[in-house]
Amino acid sequence: MFQARTKADTLKELIAIVSTLVDEAKFSISSEKITLRAVDPAHVAMLDVQLKKDAFEEYKADEVDLGVDVAKIDQFLRLARAGDIVDLAHDEDKRRLNVIVGNTTKRMSLIDTTGMTEPKVPNLNLPAKVSLNIEDIMQGIRASESVSDHVALVATPEYFELICEGDTDQVQLKLAKDQLVELEAKEKARSLFPLEYFSNIMKSVPSGTKLTFSLGVDYPVKIEFSIAGENGEVKYFLAPRIESGD
Amino acid sequence: MGVDISQILHPRKISLSALSGKAVAIDAFNSLYQFLSIIRLPDGTPLRNRDGEVTSHLSGLFYRCINFIEAGMKPVFVFDGEPPALKEETIRQRSEARTEAEQAWKDALAAGEIRQAWTKATRASRLTGMMIEDSKRLLKYMGVPSVQAPSEGEAQAAYMVEAGQADAAASQDFDSMLFGCPRLIRNLAISGKRRIPKTNRFTQVEPEEILLSDLLGSLEITREQLVDMGIMIGTDYNPGIRGIGPKKAHKIIKKYGSIDAAVGERAIDPVESLEELRTIFLEPSVSMHEEFSWKDIDRGAVISFMCDRNGFSVDRIASTLDRVSKREQAAGLSTLDKWCQN
Repeated sequence: MFQARTKADTLKELIAIVSTLVDEAKFSISSEKITLRAVDPAHVAMLDVQLKKDAFEEYKADEVDLGVDVAKIDQFLRLARAGDIVDLAHDEDKRRLNVIVGNTTKRMSLIDTTGMTEPKVPNLNLPAKVSLNIEDIMQGIRASESVSDHVALVATPEYFELICEGDTDQVQLKLAKDQLVELEAKEKARSLFPLEYFSNIMKSVPSGTKLTFSLGVDYPVKIEFSIAGENGEVKYFLAPRIESGD
Repeated sequence: MGVDISQILHPRKISLSALSGKAVAIDAFNSLYQFLSIIRLPDGTPLRNRDGEVTSHLSGLFYRCINFIEAGMKPVFVFDGEPPALKEETIRQRSEARTEAEQAWKDALAAGEIRQAWTKATRASRLTGMMIEDSKRLLKYMGVPSVQAPSEGEAQAAYMVEAGQADAAASQDFDSMLFGCPRLIRNLAISGKRRIPKTNRFTQVEPEEILLSDLLGSLEITREQLVDMGIMIGTDYNPGIRGIGPKKAHKIIKKYGSIDAAVGERAIDPVESLEELRTIFLEPSVSMHEEFSWKDIDRGAVISFMCDRNGFSVDRIASTLDRVSKREQAAGLSTLDKWCQN
């Protein structure tokens, strides 16, 4: 059994995050929370999300896995206006998820979850930690998009830096320690990431969000933030690009 | 099914990615029965194409192969041939149990007890000749080799590992160990979840590896003695000796050395067809000249077979196939995999 009611915005945020990496996803529902773990088809990025029952206005559930076509639900939620309420209900007999916005119900057939693997969360030792507001980094990311297809994230004891090196041009965004919410780095950490993935991930972060990067040297980055007023936790992992020789 | 020696085993957990690049001989019947058993609608009805033919096994086989290929594994499916004569009784019992379960499923459906129906239905699975042929066809289209065993698939798989044609055998049964398989992988399941028998609940399972040398070493016995233990406990070919489980069997073998010696000391009753049973495990009928290789997926053939012939959604099959090709394209890109092998 699964029945829940929530603000459309909460659900939109969740779906925006999930759809950055996958088209189909397995939501594991329990009496306390909804969790989802997914890896993109190329295994470059992983997502680990938890949404506690307190993120919902009403929430009743037993343990069940729902295979959802994320694009379909995203499309339907676009019809909801800010402040709208969305009802979700699992129809076990017909194997459907019913989504109700206002007076409209969309009955979506669920996807068989047998083929969906549950990826393992990587085991990482990431020495540097940077917390900042999403607004403070977006400009640098947008500026990088026309310059190269990869971007370096650098953390030192004094500053955080995003550098994008193209063939002819360069973009640099530098935030000193006092411009950051938090900076913890004993020595310099630097890794290079595919810009398309990084940019899509950052665009899924709701505005006004404080996020944390955990970084190492040529290591994946862990990107963490809260959604739904601290009732949801999002963790992304993005594999680095290993720089060749030079 | 098979001999139950789980109590005395100490398997080692491994991850699917640890099998990357490894050739794994998979007990095909064992897998197909699993698919037929669990891939069902909530009321227990299996998946069917528009001609009403069951397609649960094809769905399972397709997704499992995709997951294996994605993990970089090289699967080879080994199909059973003629069962040894001694297996007749077991086969008859299984067939009877299926007929009973089928009736119980229909009764539960008629009574509207959906959960009960599902449980019963999972035990009523039958594997037909056509399902086997279709499975082999799908494997061919997916570039995954299959091997036809002259007799027991597990014996053939064990031989292939011994001969170095494969790195490990995969099965849920322990019989492979009795057949002398040096390395057995269990729980090589699709989603990391497996149904708890006779319920509708699932438990998290991880692949595990059992080495014959470890098993014999920890029990301090020979393979011949392991086979004698299996015969006392009971196998697919004999009922075993009443009241003897793995621990007791181990004690008897440690004390007397063999079944004959134990019988001589009147510790146990004589075992019928003892030599024939030993031969099944120690000199199994296997084919030594099977050649096989892995090929690229024939995308068009898979889609036509799965979608046109068997009614699966083109979108889903195509997007799943894309997963593999995207994976290959991204080969140059660094992935998270090497950090996920914890």
